[in-house]
Amino acid sequence: MSIDTRASDADLIVQSLTEPELFTAVFDRHSSEILRYVYARLGPDLAEDVTAETFLAAFQCRSKYDGAWSDARPWLYGIAMRQISRHRRAEERRLRLLRSAPADGPTEDHSDRAAERVTAQRLGPRLAVALAALPRQDRELLLLVAWAELSYAEAATALGTTTSAVKARLHRIRVRMRQELGDDYPVNEEKDDE
Amino acid sequence: MSEINTLRELRPVPPPAELEAMRMAARERLVTGMARKRAPQRWRRPVLAGGLTTAAVAAGAAAALVLTSGPGVVPGQHATAGHSRTVVTTAWTVREDADGTVNIYLDEYANPAGLQRALQADGVNAIVRSIPYVLQSGFNNKSVVRPTCNYVTINDRAPLAVQGRVLTIGRRALPALFIVHPDAMPPGSALFLAFMANPPRAAGNIALKPVVLTNDTAPACVPVADKRPGQSAPTPTAKAGRPAPSALPKAA
Repeated sequence: MSIDTRASDADLIVQSLTEPELFTAVFDRHSSEILRYVYARLGPDLAEDVTAETFLAAFQCRSKYDGAWSDARPWLYGIAMRQISRHRRAEERRLRLLRSAPADGPTEDHSDRAAERVTAQRLGPRLAVALAALPRQDRELLLLVAWAELSYAEAATALGTTTSAVKARLHRIRVRMRQELGDDYPVNEEKDDE
Repeated sequence: MSEINTLRELRPVPPPAELEAMRMAARERLVTGMARKRAPQRWRRPVLAGGLTTAAVAAGAAAALVLTSGPGVVPGQHATAGHSRTVVTTAWTVREDADGTVNIYLDEYANPAGLQRALQADGVNAIVRSIPYVLQSGFNNKSVVRPTCNYVTINDRAPLAVQGRVLTIGRRALPALFIVHPDAMPPGSALFLAFMANPPRAAGNIALKPVVLTNDTAPACVPVADKRPGQSAPTPTAKAGRPAPSALPKAA
Protein backbone atom coordinates (compact mmCIF):
# COMPACT_ATOMS: atom_id res chain seq x y z
CA MET A 1 0.00 0.00 0.00
CA SER A 2 1.38 3.42 -0.91
CA ILE A 3 -0.34 6.60 0.17
CA ASP A 4 -0.02 9.71 -1.95
CA THR A 5 0.31 12.47 0.58
CA ARG A 6 -1.01 14.96 -1.97
CA ALA A 7 -4.19 13.00 -2.61
CA SER A 8 -7.38 14.70 -1.50
CA ASP A 9 -9.60 13.11 1.11
CA ALA A 10 -12.09 12.32 -1.64
CA ASP A 11 -9.42 10.46 -3.63
CA LEU A 12 -8.37 8.47 -0.57
CA ILE A 13 -11.92 7.53 0.34
CA VAL A 14 -12.78 6.47 -3.18
CA GLN A 15 -9.57 4.42 -3.43
CA SER A 16 -10.27 2.87 -0.04
CA LEU A 17 -13.29 1.15 -1.58
CA THR A 18 -10.86 -1.20 -3.29
CA GLU A 19 -7.95 -0.80 -0.86
CA PRO A 20 -9.60 -0.48 2.56
CA GLU A 21 -6.33 0.10 4.40
CA LEU A 22 -6.04 3.50 2.70
CA PHE A 23 -8.78 4.69 5.02
CA THR A 24 -6.24 4.83 7.84
CA ALA A 25 -4.71 7.82 6.04
CA VAL A 26 -8.02 9.65 6.46
CA PHE A 27 -7.88 8.79 10.15
CA ASP A 28 -4.30 10.03 10.42
CA ARG A 29 -5.23 13.35 8.82
CA HIS A 30 -8.30 14.19 10.83
CA SER A 31 -8.41 12.09 13.99
CA SER A 32 -6.69 14.65 16.24
CA GLU A 33 -9.23 17.29 15.32
CA ILE A 34 -12.22 15.01 15.68
CA LEU A 35 -10.86 13.66 18.97
CA ARG A 36 -10.41 17.17 20.37
CA TYR A 37 -13.99 18.01 19.47
CA VAL A 38 -15.39 14.82 20.99
CA TYR A 39 -13.25 15.39 24.09
CA ALA A 40 -14.67 18.89 24.45
CA ARG A 41 -18.23 17.62 24.02
CA LEU A 42 -18.13 14.43 26.10
CA GLY A 43 -14.97 14.50 28.20
CA PRO A 44 -12.07 12.08 28.52
CA ASP A 45 -14.09 9.00 29.43
CA LEU A 46 -15.80 8.71 26.07
CA ALA A 47 -13.50 10.61 23.71
CA GLU A 48 -11.51 7.61 22.55
CA ASP A 49 -14.56 5.35 22.17
CA VAL A 50 -16.65 7.85 20.28
CA THR A 51 -13.77 8.83 18.00
CA ALA A 52 -13.17 5.18 17.13
CA GLU A 53 -16.88 4.69 16.55
CA THR A 54 -16.98 7.78 14.34
CA PHE A 55 -14.23 6.56 12.04
CA LEU A 56 -15.60 3.03 11.98
CA ALA A 57 -19.01 4.38 10.99
CA ALA A 58 -17.30 6.54 8.36
CA PHE A 59 -15.43 3.51 7.06
CA GLN A 60 -18.61 1.51 6.81
CA CYS A 61 -20.52 4.17 4.90
CA ARG A 62 -17.66 5.49 2.78
CA SER A 63 -19.33 4.25 -0.40
CA LYS A 64 -21.88 7.04 0.11
CA TYR A 65 -19.22 9.75 0.33
CA ASP A 66 -19.78 12.60 -2.12
CA GLY A 67 -16.64 12.78 -4.25
CA ALA A 68 -17.23 16.50 -4.73
CA TRP A 69 -16.17 17.09 -1.12
CA SER A 70 -12.40 17.26 -1.33
CA ASP A 71 -12.15 17.85 2.42
CA ALA A 72 -13.68 15.08 4.54
CA ARG A 73 -13.81 17.13 7.76
CA PRO A 74 -17.44 18.30 7.51
CA TRP A 75 -18.55 14.76 6.64
CA LEU A 76 -16.62 13.35 9.60
CA TYR A 77 -18.01 16.00 11.94
CA GLY A 78 -21.51 15.09 10.80
CA ILE A 79 -20.87 11.46 11.73
CA ALA A 80 -19.22 12.45 15.01
CA MET A 81 -22.23 14.58 15.83
CA ARG A 82 -24.55 11.60 15.45
CA GLN A 83 -22.28 9.45 17.60
CA ILE A 84 -22.13 12.17 20.26
CA SER A 85 -25.92 12.43 20.30
CA ARG A 86 -26.04 8.84 21.55
CA HIS A 87 -24.36 9.96 24.77
CA ARG A 88 -26.75 12.63 25.95
CA ARG A 89 -26.19 12.10 29.65
CA ALA A 90 -22.43 12.34 29.28
CA GLU A 91 -22.87 15.62 27.43
CA GLU A 92 -25.14 16.95 30.15
CA ARG A 93 -22.47 16.10 32.72
CA ARG A 94 -19.88 17.87 30.59
CA LEU A 95 -21.99 21.00 30.41
CA ARG A 96 -22.44 20.91 34.17
CA LEU A 97 -18.69 20.75 34.52
CA LEU A 98 -18.24 23.73 32.21
CA ARG A 99 -20.67 25.61 34.36
CA SER A 100 -18.62 25.09 37.48
CA ALA A 101 -15.03 25.03 36.23
CA PRO A 102 -12.88 27.51 34.33
CA ALA A 103 -11.79 26.59 30.81
CA ASP A 104 -8.63 24.48 30.68
CA GLY A 105 -7.57 25.77 27.32
CA PRO A 106 -4.16 26.47 25.81
CA THR A 107 -1.84 28.78 27.68
CA GLU A 108 -0.62 31.19 25.02
CA ASP A 109 -1.59 34.67 25.99
CA HIS A 110 -1.89 36.87 22.94
CA SER A 111 -3.62 40.08 23.84
CA ASP A 112 -6.81 39.43 21.84
CA ARG A 113 -6.97 35.91 23.16
CA ALA A 114 -6.35 37.12 26.67
CA ALA A 115 -9.29 39.49 26.45
CA GLU A 116 -11.53 36.74 25.14
CA ARG A 117 -10.30 34.48 27.87
CA VAL A 118 -11.09 36.94 30.62
CA THR A 119 -14.56 37.40 29.16
CA ALA A 120 -15.02 33.66 28.88
CA GLN A 121 -14.00 33.12 32.48
CA ARG A 122 -16.37 35.82 33.63
CA LEU A 123 -19.28 34.59 31.55
CA GLY A 124 -18.35 30.92 31.47
CA PRO A 125 -20.92 29.55 33.90
CA ARG A 126 -23.77 31.56 32.40
CA LEU A 127 -22.69 30.74 28.86
CA ALA A 128 -22.66 27.06 29.78
CA VAL A 129 -26.18 27.36 31.20
CA ALA A 130 -27.33 29.16 28.06
CA LEU A 131 -25.64 26.53 25.91
CA ALA A 132 -27.35 23.72 27.79
CA ALA A 133 -30.70 25.45 27.39
CA LEU A 134 -30.43 25.59 23.60
CA PRO A 135 -32.34 23.02 21.54
CA ARG A 136 -30.04 20.18 20.58
CA GLN A 137 -29.83 21.09 16.90
CA ASP A 138 -28.98 24.69 17.69
CA ARG A 139 -26.31 23.63 20.15
CA GLU A 140 -24.83 21.29 17.56
CA LEU A 141 -24.57 24.11 15.04
CA LEU A 142 -23.14 26.62 17.50
CA LEU A 143 -20.47 24.20 18.68
CA LEU A 144 -19.57 23.13 15.15
CA VAL A 145 -18.79 26.78 14.44
CA ALA A 146 -17.28 27.72 17.82
CA TRP A 147 -15.45 24.56 18.89
CA ALA A 148 -14.87 22.68 15.63
CA GLU A 149 -14.17 26.00 13.91
CA LEU A 150 -16.07 25.01 10.79
CA SER A 151 -17.07 27.72 8.33
CA TYR A 152 -20.75 28.24 7.65
CA ALA A 153 -20.50 26.22 4.44
CA GLU A 154 -18.70 23.37 6.22
CA ALA A 155 -21.22 23.38 9.06
CA ALA A 156 -23.99 23.24 6.47
CA THR A 157 -22.37 20.16 4.92
CA ALA A 158 -22.00 18.51 8.33
CA LEU A 159 -25.65 19.18 9.15
CA GLY A 160 -26.95 18.35 5.70
CA THR A 161 -28.46 21.78 5.16
CA THR A 162 -27.71 24.95 3.22
CA THR A 163 -25.34 27.78 4.07
CA SER A 164 -28.15 30.30 4.12
CA ALA A 165 -30.11 28.13 6.56
CA VAL A 166 -27.03 27.95 8.79
CA LYS A 167 -26.68 31.73 8.77
CA ALA A 168 -30.33 32.22 9.63
CA ARG A 169 -30.20 29.69 12.45
CA LEU A 170 -27.03 31.17 13.90
CA HIS A 171 -28.67 34.58 13.91
CA ARG A 172 -31.61 33.19 15.87
CA ILE A 173 -29.25 31.42 18.27
CA ARG A 174 -27.35 34.64 18.95
CA VAL A 175 -30.55 36.52 19.63
CA ARG A 176 -31.66 33.84 22.03
CA MET A 177 -28.33 33.74 23.86
CA ARG A 178 -28.29 37.52 24.20
CA GLN A 179 -31.71 37.30 25.79
CA GLU A 180 -30.40 34.67 28.19
CA LEU A 181 -27.29 36.63 29.12
CA GLY A 182 -28.67 40.13 28.99
CA ASP A 183 -26.22 43.02 29.04
CA ASP A 184 -23.25 40.79 29.79
CA TYR A 185 -23.25 39.22 26.36
CA PRO A 186 -20.10 40.15 24.39
CA VAL A 187 -21.73 41.72 21.35
CA ASN A 188 -19.64 43.01 18.49
CA GLU A 189 -20.77 44.36 15.20
CA GLU A 190 -22.08 41.26 13.54
CA LYS A 191 -20.28 40.14 10.45
CA ASP A 192 -20.19 36.84 8.69
CA ASP A 193 -17.05 34.82 8.39
CA GLU A 194 -17.84 33.76 4.85
CA MET B 1 -17.06 37.56 15.95
CA SER B 2 -16.77 38.10 19.64
CA GLU B 3 -19.43 35.75 20.92
CA ILE B 4 -18.05 32.80 18.97
CA ASN B 5 -14.52 33.54 20.17
CA THR B 6 -15.72 33.81 23.76
CA LEU B 7 -17.46 30.49 23.49
CA ARG B 8 -14.33 29.04 21.89
CA GLU B 9 -12.35 29.94 24.99
CA LEU B 10 -14.65 27.71 27.02
CA ARG B 11 -13.72 24.65 24.96
CA PRO B 12 -12.02 22.02 27.14
CA VAL B 13 -8.70 20.96 25.64
CA PRO B 14 -7.04 17.62 26.40
CA PRO B 15 -3.37 17.51 27.42
CA PRO B 16 -1.27 16.63 24.31
CA ALA B 17 0.05 13.36 25.77
CA GLU B 18 -3.44 12.21 26.69
CA LEU B 19 -4.72 13.19 23.26
CA GLU B 20 -2.04 11.16 21.51
CA ALA B 21 -2.62 8.10 23.69
CA MET B 22 -6.35 8.23 22.99
CA ARG B 23 -5.71 8.77 19.29
CA MET B 24 -3.43 5.75 19.03
CA ALA B 25 -5.90 3.58 20.90
CA ALA B 26 -8.73 4.75 18.62
CA ARG B 27 -6.55 4.00 15.58
CA GLU B 28 -5.93 0.48 16.82
CA ARG B 29 -9.65 -0.05 17.22
CA LEU B 30 -10.32 1.33 13.76
CA VAL B 31 -7.77 -1.01 12.19
CA THR B 32 -9.22 -3.96 14.10
CA GLY B 33 -12.75 -2.97 13.13
CA MET B 34 -11.77 -2.53 9.48
CA ALA B 35 -10.27 -6.01 9.45
CA ARG B 36 -13.48 -7.45 10.83
CA LYS B 37 -15.57 -5.25 8.52
CA ARG B 38 -17.84 -4.47 11.44
CA ALA B 39 -17.69 -2.25 14.48
CA PRO B 40 -16.06 -4.05 17.40
CA GLN B 41 -18.56 -2.62 19.83
CA ARG B 42 -21.34 -4.64 18.26
CA TRP B 43 -21.60 -7.65 20.41
CA ARG B 44 -24.23 -10.15 21.34
CA ARG B 45 -25.00 -11.03 24.88
CA PRO B 46 -24.19 -14.68 25.53
CA VAL B 47 -27.22 -16.92 25.61
CA LEU B 48 -26.95 -19.31 28.49
CA ALA B 49 -27.55 -22.99 28.45
CA GLY B 50 -31.24 -23.68 28.66
CA GLY B 51 -32.01 -20.43 26.88
CA LEU B 52 -31.71 -18.24 29.96
CA THR B 53 -30.81 -14.63 29.50
CA THR B 54 -29.67 -12.19 32.12
CA ALA B 55 -33.10 -10.59 31.96
CA ALA B 56 -34.69 -13.90 32.83
CA VAL B 57 -32.16 -14.35 35.58
CA ALA B 58 -32.92 -10.91 36.90
CA ALA B 59 -36.61 -11.67 36.98
CA GLY B 60 -36.24 -15.01 38.69
CA ALA B 61 -33.17 -14.95 40.84
CA ALA B 62 -32.65 -11.38 42.02
CA ALA B 63 -29.03 -10.34 42.22
CA ALA B 64 -27.46 -13.57 43.40
CA LEU B 65 -24.66 -15.11 41.38
CA VAL B 66 -26.16 -17.55 38.94
CA LEU B 67 -23.88 -19.94 37.13
CA THR B 68 -24.66 -22.16 34.22
CA SER B 69 -24.00 -25.85 34.14
CA GLY B 70 -25.33 -27.53 31.04
CA PRO B 71 -29.11 -27.46 31.05
CA GLY B 72 -29.43 -26.67 34.74
CA VAL B 73 -28.63 -23.65 36.81
CA VAL B 74 -26.74 -23.96 40.08
CA PRO B 75 -26.69 -20.78 42.11
CA GLY B 76 -23.59 -20.02 44.08
CA GLN B 77 -21.16 -22.34 42.35
CA HIS B 78 -18.82 -22.10 39.42
CA ALA B 79 -19.39 -24.69 36.77
CA THR B 80 -18.69 -25.24 33.13
CA ALA B 81 -21.18 -25.14 30.29
CA GLY B 82 -19.81 -26.85 27.22
CA HIS B 83 -16.48 -25.30 26.38
CA SER B 84 -17.03 -22.11 28.26
CA ARG B 85 -17.91 -20.92 31.71
CA THR B 86 -20.30 -18.11 32.37
CA VAL B 87 -21.06 -16.23 35.56
CA VAL B 88 -24.16 -14.09 35.43
CA THR B 89 -25.53 -11.48 37.78
CA THR B 90 -28.16 -8.87 37.22
CA ALA B 91 -25.41 -6.29 36.83
CA TRP B 92 -22.75 -8.08 34.78
CA THR B 93 -21.77 -11.26 33.01
CA VAL B 94 -18.32 -12.83 32.88
CA ARG B 95 -17.83 -15.46 30.21
CA GLU B 96 -14.69 -17.48 29.70
CA ASP B 97 -14.34 -18.85 26.18
CA ALA B 98 -12.70 -22.13 25.29
CA ASP B 99 -9.52 -20.33 24.20
CA GLY B 100 -9.17 -18.71 27.62
CA THR B 101 -10.44 -15.31 26.53
CA VAL B 102 -12.59 -13.69 29.20
CA ASN B 103 -15.46 -11.42 28.19
CA ILE B 104 -16.84 -8.94 30.70
CA TYR B 105 -20.31 -7.57 29.92
CA LEU B 106 -21.41 -4.76 32.19
CA ASP B 107 -25.04 -3.72 32.31
CA GLU B 108 -24.71 -1.87 35.58
CA TYR B 109 -21.93 -0.87 37.87
CA ALA B 110 -22.52 -3.05 40.91
CA ASN B 111 -21.06 -5.82 43.04
CA PRO B 112 -17.35 -5.12 42.48
CA ALA B 113 -16.26 -7.79 44.95
CA GLY B 114 -18.26 -10.44 43.11
CA LEU B 115 -16.86 -9.31 39.79
CA GLN B 116 -13.33 -9.57 41.16
CA ARG B 117 -14.00 -13.12 42.36
CA ALA B 118 -15.53 -14.15 39.03
CA LEU B 119 -12.57 -12.79 37.10
CA GLN B 120 -10.05 -14.41 39.38
CA ALA B 121 -11.85 -17.72 38.99
CA ASP B 122 -11.38 -17.37 35.25
CA GLY B 123 -7.65 -16.82 35.61
CA VAL B 124 -7.63 -13.04 35.42
CA ASN B 125 -5.63 -11.53 38.24
CA ALA B 126 -8.13 -8.74 38.76
CA ILE B 127 -8.52 -5.97 41.26
CA VAL B 128 -12.00 -4.44 41.21
CA ARG B 129 -12.79 -1.53 43.48
CA SER B 130 -15.73 0.72 44.10
CA ILE B 131 -15.13 4.45 44.01
CA PRO B 132 -16.56 6.04 47.18
CA TYR B 133 -18.88 8.92 46.48
CA VAL B 134 -21.32 11.38 47.93
CA LEU B 135 -24.42 12.83 46.37
CA GLN B 136 -24.56 16.56 46.00
CA SER B 137 -26.79 19.10 44.37
CA GLY B 138 -25.83 19.90 40.80
CA PHE B 139 -27.26 21.53 37.72
CA ASN B 140 -30.97 22.39 38.14
CA ASN B 141 -30.73 21.08 41.72
CA LYS B 142 -30.47 17.52 40.50
CA SER B 143 -28.39 15.10 42.54
CA VAL B 144 -25.03 14.29 41.06
CA VAL B 145 -22.31 11.98 42.28
CA ARG B 146 -18.99 13.32 43.47
CA PRO B 147 -16.11 10.94 44.16
CA THR B 148 -14.54 11.41 47.55
CA CYS B 149 -11.36 9.77 46.35
CA ASN B 150 -9.85 8.69 43.07
CA TYR B 151 -7.66 5.75 42.18
CA VAL B 152 -4.37 6.91 40.68
CA THR B 153 -2.80 4.31 38.43
CA ILE B 154 -0.62 6.42 36.19
CA ASN B 155 2.65 5.27 37.78
CA ASP B 156 1.74 1.59 37.77
CA ARG B 157 0.30 1.15 34.29
CA ALA B 158 1.80 -1.46 32.01
CA PRO B 159 3.10 -0.14 28.67
CA LEU B 160 0.55 0.57 25.95
CA ALA B 161 1.69 -2.46 23.94
CA VAL B 162 0.89 -4.71 26.91
CA GLN B 163 -2.47 -2.99 27.44
CA GLY B 164 -3.30 -3.71 23.80
CA ARG B 165 -2.33 -7.38 24.04
CA VAL B 166 -4.21 -8.01 27.27
CA LEU B 167 -7.28 -5.86 26.91
CA THR B 168 -9.71 -5.01 24.11
CA ILE B 169 -12.33 -2.44 24.92
CA GLY B 170 -15.31 -3.36 22.80
CA ARG B 171 -17.50 -0.68 24.24
CA ARG B 172 -16.83 1.55 27.18
CA ALA B 173 -20.22 3.09 27.84
CA LEU B 174 -22.93 0.92 29.35
CA PRO B 175 -23.71 -1.72 28.30
CA ALA B 176 -19.96 -2.16 28.23
CA LEU B 177 -17.82 -4.94 26.88
CA PHE B 178 -14.22 -5.63 27.87
CA ILE B 179 -12.32 -8.59 26.46
CA VAL B 180 -9.38 -9.87 28.47
CA HIS B 181 -6.64 -12.22 27.28
CA PRO B 182 -5.22 -13.60 30.55
CA ASP B 183 -2.42 -15.47 28.77
CA ALA B 184 -0.98 -12.14 27.63
CA MET B 185 -0.77 -10.74 31.17
CA PRO B 186 2.85 -10.43 32.31
CA PRO B 187 3.72 -12.30 35.53
CA GLY B 188 2.80 -10.30 38.60
CA SER B 189 0.54 -7.92 36.70
CA ALA B 190 -3.13 -7.28 37.42
CA LEU B 191 -6.19 -5.95 35.67
CA PHE B 192 -7.67 -2.99 37.51
CA LEU B 193 -11.27 -1.85 37.29
CA ALA B 194 -12.99 0.76 39.43
CA PHE B 195 -16.47 2.22 39.39
CA MET B 196 -19.07 3.75 41.63
CA ALA B 197 -21.31 0.99 42.86
CA ASN B 198 -25.07 1.47 42.63
CA PRO B 199 -25.44 5.25 42.60
CA PRO B 200 -28.95 6.52 41.79
CA ARG B 201 -29.40 6.17 38.05
CA ALA B 202 -30.13 9.84 37.45
CA ALA B 203 -27.09 10.99 39.43
CA GLY B 204 -24.55 9.69 36.93
CA ASN B 205 -21.58 7.48 37.56
CA ILE B 206 -17.85 7.49 37.27
CA ALA B 207 -16.05 4.43 36.01
CA LEU B 208 -12.34 4.35 35.34
CA LYS B 209 -11.08 2.86 32.14
CA PRO B 210 -9.78 -0.68 32.81
CA VAL B 211 -6.00 -0.80 32.87
CA VAL B 212 -3.32 -3.43 33.24
CA LEU B 213 -1.04 -2.71 36.18
CA THR B 214 2.57 -3.80 36.37
CA ASN B 215 1.95 -5.18 39.85
CA ASP B 216 -0.95 -6.66 41.77
CA THR B 217 -1.07 -4.07 44.51
CA ALA B 218 -4.35 -2.19 44.67
CA PRO B 219 -3.79 1.49 43.85
CA ALA B 220 -4.35 4.00 46.61
CA CYS B 221 -7.54 5.98 46.54
CA VAL B 222 -6.42 9.59 46.79
CA PRO B 223 -8.92 11.95 48.45
CA VAL B 224 -10.53 14.42 46.07
CA ALA B 225 -11.13 17.95 47.26
CA ASP B 226 -14.59 19.40 46.97
CA LYS B 227 -13.97 22.42 44.75
CA ARG B 228 -17.33 24.04 45.30
CA PRO B 229 -17.03 27.46 46.92
CA GLY B 230 -17.16 27.34 50.68
CA GLN B 231 -16.62 23.61 50.95
CA SER B 232 -14.15 22.16 53.39
CA ALA B 233 -11.61 19.39 53.08
CA PRO B 234 -12.50 16.12 51.33
CA THR B 235 -14.42 13.43 53.08
CA PRO B 236 -12.47 10.22 52.50
CA THR B 237 -15.09 7.93 53.94
CA ALA B 238 -17.26 5.85 51.70
CA LYS B 239 -20.97 6.54 51.43
CA ALA B 240 -22.95 4.69 54.03
CA GLY B 241 -23.87 1.25 52.85
CA ARG B 242 -21.24 1.21 50.10
CA PRO B 243 -18.09 -0.83 50.49
CA ALA B 244 -15.00 1.19 51.24
CA PRO B 245 -11.97 0.14 49.18
CA SER B 246 -10.32 -1.45 52.12
CA ALA B 247 -13.37 -3.63 52.69
CA LEU B 248 -12.88 -5.41 49.40
CA PRO B 249 -10.59 -8.39 49.10
CA LYS B 250 -7.16 -7.76 47.68
CA ALA B 251 -6.16 -9.62 44.57
CA ALA B 252 -4.37 -12.87 45.13
